[in-house]
Amino acid sequence: MIITKKRGHKDIMENIKNCNSLFLLGCSECATLCGTGGEPELREMKETLEAEGKKVTGTFVAKTGCQVLGTKVELKQFKDALAETDCILVMSCGAGTQTAVELFQDKPVYPTNDSLFLGNMTRIQMFDERCSLCGKCILDKTGGICPVTACPKGLLNGPCGGTNNGKCEISDDIECAWVRIYNRLKRLDQLEDMKKTAEPKDWSAHKKPMSINAREKKEEVKK
Amino acid sequence: MNFRDALDSGKFVVTAEIGPPKGTDIKEMLHDAEMLKGRLDAVNVTDNQSAVMRINSMSICRILLDMGHEPILQMTCRDRNRIALQSDLLGASVLGIRNVLCMTGDHPDAGDHKGAKPVYDIESVQLLRVVDSLNNGRDMMGNEMKGATDFFQGAVVTPEANPIEPQLMKFEKKVGAGAKFFQTQAIYDIDKFREFMKYARKFPVKVLAGLVLLKSAGMANYMNKFVPGITVPSGLIDELKAAGKENALDAGINIAARHIKQLRDEKICDGVHIMAIGAEDKVPLIMERAGLS
Repeated sequence: MIITKKRGHKDIMENIKNCNSLFLLGCSECATLCGTGGEPELREMKETLEAEGKKVTGTFVAKTGCQVLGTKVELKQFKDALAETDCILVMSCGAGTQTAVELFQDKPVYPTNDSLFLGNMTRIQMFDERCSLCGKCILDKTGGICPVTACPKGLLNGPCGGTNNGKCEISDDIECAWVRIYNRLKRLDQLEDMKKTAEPKDWSAHKKPMSINAREKKEEVKK
Repeated sequence: MNFRDALDSGKFVVTAEIGPPKGTDIKEMLHDAEMLKGRLDAVNVTDNQSAVMRINSMSICRILLDMGHEPILQMTCRDRNRIALQSDLLGASVLGIRNVLCMTGDHPDAGDHKGAKPVYDIESVQLLRVVDSLNNGRDMMGNEMKGATDFFQGAVVTPEANPIEPQLMKFEKKVGAGAKFFQTQAIYDIDKFREFMKYARKFPVKVLAGLVLLKSAGMANYMNKFVPGITVPSGLIDELKAAGKENALDAGINIAARHIKQLRDEKICDGVHIMAIGAEDKVPLIMERAGLS
C-alpha cells in the first residue's frame, strides 16, 4: 500500500489561508490503514478547521481514492457541498490528490499528507519499504530480498565496505541488505546466484510518467 | 616507472593519498604533494571523500601529474550516472591520468550535503567492467569509440569486514570485472591480514595493505566504534595511551612503520597504501622509520 504521513499543521493552514470553506476527501484504503485519511482523521481535521474559523462543507472517505471514475461516481451525492466549497483538501496520497485535481477543474486541491513509499504493513500502523517499483524485478536473483530498496545505495553486486556486523553504515537500525541476502541464499543453498555479476540496471524500465493500458494487452492476447 | 610497472617489477610499492580541499586555496595541499614527491609509487586523489564536497579528483590528479606525481584517480559511483562516469573517465584519459580506483562511495548521509540525491546508477563491480570496456575501445553499451583508454584499474576490499564471506564474493566479482590491483581498507592485525592474503594470493591481482595513521587512542577508539571494517587491537590502543597525549602521534607513526616493515620483510603483500588523513606531511617520516627511504 501507499504509505502517507500527515504534513505539519502550519503547512496545511498556509495552503488554505485564502479558502474560507473546504471539502475533505479521505480514502478507505491505504490512508485509512495509515491513520492519515480515514473517518477518525477526517473528523479530527473538520474539528481543527472549524476551530480555526473555516467552514467544512462536507467530508467523504472515498472507497478507493486513486480510482478516478469510481470516486467521481461516489462524489455525486455531495454535489451541493462541492459546489459551495472554495477548495478540496485531500487526506490520502498523491494519487488520491490528483484524482480530485482531475475531477475538480475549477477548484484548488491541496494535499494534507506526504506520500512516502510503497509499504508492507508489519503490525498495525507499522510499515516497511520493501519494493521500489523499479520496473524490472530482480527478486528472483536476490533470494527474494530487494537490494534496490533495502540497500540505501541500491547495490546489485554485494555489500559495500560499510557493512558492519550485519548492519548498514547509514544506521544501526538498518540490516545490511546484502548480508540478509547472503544469509537467505546460504540457507536455501542458492549462493551460486550471488556469485553472478549483475548487469547495470535498466532504469528505462521505469521511465516517468509510467502509463499502462492493461485492456489493450488483453485484447492483444485475444487476437 | 609508472604505477603498473612498479607493481609488475615486484618491488614493494608505496602509495599514499591526498584529499583535495574544499575551496580553491590549494597551497597547503600542494605543499603536502611537494613533500611526497619522488617518494611514492603513486598517490591516490580522493573523490569527495566521506561525501563531503571538495575539488574534484580529476583536476587535482592533473595538477599532481604536472608536478611529476603518478596519480590514482579515485572514482565513486555516488555522484554521477553512467554517462557522466564514462565521460569523466575519457576526460581523465586525455588529461594523461592512467590509474583509476573504482569504488561505490560513501553515502551522502555521511557528508555535508545530506539532502543530495545519491546516484549509484552503477556500482564498483560494474564500474570496473566499464573501465575494461573503455580500455577495449567501446563504451559500456558496446558503441565503438574513436580512441580507447589505457587505464590501470583497481578496487577496494575490506579484509576485516564482518561477515567476511559476502565481502570476499564481491572481491572475486571485482577480480572478474578486471581489477588489477586492490588497496585495502585499513588493517591493524597483521596476522589476520596474512590469512586474508593467503586467500587473495589465489587471484592474479596485486594487493596493497591499507594503513591509516593512528594519531591518538581516542581516534583508535572512535574508529573501532564508528568505522565499519576497521578493528584496532587493544594492544595498539594501549601503546598509544602509554605514549601520552603529546607523543601519541609519534607512537602512531611507529606503529605504521613497524607494520609496513613487517608486511615487507615477510612479503605478506605487494605494498602499502598509507592514509595519513590530514597528516600527509608525516608520510615521509613513516617511510623513513619503516626503512623505505
